[in-house]
Amino acid sequence: MSETKAIKFNIYNPIITYEHRAAYDMIVSHLQEIFPICNQGKCKALEVSDDPQKQKQINDLMEKVEFFSNSLITITKVFFDQLYRAKETSSQSISQSTAMIKIDMIERNLLERTCDVRWWALEKAFWQCITLANKQKASKTTDTTKAHGDLKNAVDLACTRLEDIRNSYTLYRDLVIVDLDGRVIANSNEERREEVLGMNVASEDWFQKALQTKDGTEYFVQDVSSSKLEGMESLIYSTALRADGDEQGKVIGAMGVLFDFQGESQIILNDYLPVSEAGETMDNWFSFFTNKAGRVICSSDESFIPSGELADLPRSHRNLKNSGETHVSTAAVCGNRSLIVSRKSEGFDEYKGLDWTSHLVLPESAMFARSLENEDYGISPQELMNSKLIPDTNKKTYQEIQRNKGDIQLISINGIILATDLGKAGTSFIPIFDQITTTGNSTTGKMEELLSEMSSDMLQQNLMALENFSKQAIDLIDRNLFERAADVRWWSTDHACWEALQSATDGNFEEAAKRLGIINASYTMYRDLVIADSNGRIVANSKSENRDKLKRMNVSEQSWFRQGMQISRSVQFGVQDVCNSELENEETSLIYCGGILENGQREGKVLGVLGIFFDWENLVSPILEGCLPRIKGKVVHGGAAFYVNDERKVIATTDHENFAIGQTVDLPNENLSLNAGESASGIFSANDKKYIIGSSKTQGYREYEGLGWTAHVVRPID
Amino acid sequence: MLYSTFYLGETKMAVPIPAILEIGRSFKFHSVRGSPEVIDGLINLRGKVVTVINSGMAFGGERVLSADDSRIFIFKNNSELREVADSDFEMETAPDNIGIHVDRIADVIRVEKEELQAVPSNMIHPFYKFVVRRDDSFIIILEPAKILNLNENEDLLS
Repeated sequence: MSETKAIKFNIYNPIITYEHRAAYDMIVSHLQEIFPICNQGKCKALEVSDDPQKQKQINDLMEKVEFFSNSLITITKVFFDQLYRAKETSSQSISQSTAMIKIDMIERNLLERTCDVRWWALEKAFWQCITLANKQKASKTTDTTKAHGDLKNAVDLACTRLEDIRNSYTLYRDLVIVDLDGRVIANSNEERREEVLGMNVASEDWFQKALQTKDGTEYFVQDVSSSKLEGMESLIYSTALRADGDEQGKVIGAMGVLFDFQGESQIILNDYLPVSEAGETMDNWFSFFTNKAGRVICSSDESFIPSGELADLPRSHRNLKNSGETHVSTAAVCGNRSLIVSRKSEGFDEYKGLDWTSHLVLPESAMFARSLENEDYGISPQELMNSKLIPDTNKKTYQEIQRNKGDIQLISINGIILATDLGKAGTSFIPIFDQITTTGNSTTGKMEELLSEMSSDMLQQNLMALENFSKQAIDLIDRNLFERAADVRWWSTDHACWEALQSATDGNFEEAAKRLGIINASYTMYRDLVIADSNGRIVANSKSENRDKLKRMNVSEQSWFRQGMQISRSVQFGVQDVCNSELENEETSLIYCGGILENGQREGKVLGVLGIFFDWENLVSPILEGCLPRIKGKVVHGGAAFYVNDERKVIATTDHENFAIGQTVDLPNENLSLNAGESASGIFSANDKKYIIGSSKTQGYREYEGLGWTAHVVRPID
Repeated sequence: MLYSTFYLGETKMAVPIPAILEIGRSFKFHSVRGSPEVIDGLINLRGKVVTVINSGMAFGGERVLSADDSRIFIFKNNSELREVADSDFEMETAPDNIGIHVDRIADVIRVEKEELQAVPSNMIHPFYKFVVRRDDSFIIILEPAKILNLNENEDLLS
């Protein structure tokens, strides 16, 4: 046998299903029955022939049968071991990637938050307001009604702008600006304003650390803990407000943003958990995050795994040391024998993370449960058995079973030939050899049945893994584009944008271009940001090298511009789906737009349009690369991930040869005709190869409704 | 009488068990220069030299290749056949031990004399002796002497 690992299989292990225990009993007891039959044959040989040569021939045959029966008993154990190992490995691999997806999703989200807070702190309305507040406090003598009025106006404006942020980015419970003494000057949440304004947060860590930041590029994040600002546990991002909005300026106050961590985490934690027909998460499946101290910070089931408590997990799962470390084990969780997968955060890009760990707990029996779906994918068991989905070691066992089956059959027939040569005396051997043949056929037949079951389960598990990857791919792009939609809505309200269009002077255009330049420098995913006036003439852009070319262009006929000119409220935005754009000379361009409204108001007359051009390839490639099917960390050879738009054309891909951009891919209808948020999997043929595929259709994310795209992840199996 | 069956493509064929000396697998063929294509080569069966005929070629089809499932029927020669105990049948094979290389063997069947039916006139073939019906299918009973004595069939040897 090629199998070198110690056999773990034990028929008494409770994870063995009833059906498998019965099958194992049947195979082994049938094979055991062969030994007395062989003994009977050896005795008969002495009875029916005096010829020592004939006796030896029969004895030899019987011994061969005994040998192969013994060998089949051993193979049966190995086979069951492999069957359970294969299911275990595949299940663990899916669970690991699920735990990883969850922590990755939250990390990506938290990275966006760090960009947000640093950028917002530069807002004129905020530093002006704090400057006035500080001034008034410093010179008690100038405590006039006018100064009071000015400050009130500044506070009102700051509150309005904070509200605008909260309306554009719906992920925050509140945003506050605080003076140097720790007094809250303005906030975004109108419902809590009366309580929050004037509150002193000087003792809170997030405030103190914000004042200590060296420049505008630094920020602080306070791990989930309590704050005076709200009743529930808060995750607060903070940075300093600086004089004149200068990144290097003197610290004049602080800004704190209270991220709706629990709401966001609930979405992520409940995702990828199986649900019952009633839509409830299946029993004994849990997903939760723990902090550095091993305490639960958010859980998919607060009744069993409550936040704030030490996680009911073995110590090894609570104490993961290294970033990106994964630990898998089985233990009792909430009284149920479970598989536990824990994955420590590794941060994302420049965001180092807060040393959180994502845990996924599922019933151990779920790893070995037979797939309920019994769909016909148009692939024969034989073809499936020989496919790349089945590990080589299992294929070898299959071949060995086949060989033993052939050997037993051959021995039986040769035995019958020998018995026939003995004439009438030999006829008593015929039932013995018949029985050997029958037993050989029934046991190997049962094993073939189990192998077929295993290969079909492996197919199901692989399809499920691809579905998960495709869901991850579409979720990540949806979440990313939501952030961009929030960005464009917020930026469109920036004073530099509307001032340039309201008072069209070279100085104002220059100021707007400078402002757009600062934005673009803070992000890596934009090629350019442009402001077009109501005639479609580009008056400012972020990249000086494009300026001359863009100034000569008129975009009045372009979809993004026309959508932007229809906007009358600052919470709206428009998007031009990925297409070939003349403006950029790029094959794949994705352009978002926001309406620039008079006086930067929330609702009003549109003066022009802010267009943001994505560096599409750069944005999308890492996402797709991260969703490719992998085995032990390595991308499966020939595996590919791609997005198709609602015209079924590829708009981004990891495989420019087989699933090229612009190509209409001939995929199964079930994978193309999905409803929003649905996933599907299947088998299809393309490029002379047979692939398995998992697909998920966008369901959008928060205010971003999605553009009808579908993510597909494929891997060849032949 | 008992028959051992095998498949040639989708056709199930049978040869009488008493005519068989042994069924084997994985023999090493020794090719013989100048031998007709229908011959796979010679094998050594415990000191006996056995010529092996390729059943696929003998029936004018594709060559049977050595594989996990392929087997060789080795037939008794005429004198060995006569030594079979209590033999109450008249059968001939060939003066020498000859083997037939087949794709895969199947089960052993018992066929009563009254089940043997003549080969339909439109299916006449020099190697076919009888046809037997089993369930919904037919099994062709071969005449070993014909297939084993290829020297009498010049067409195949040419």
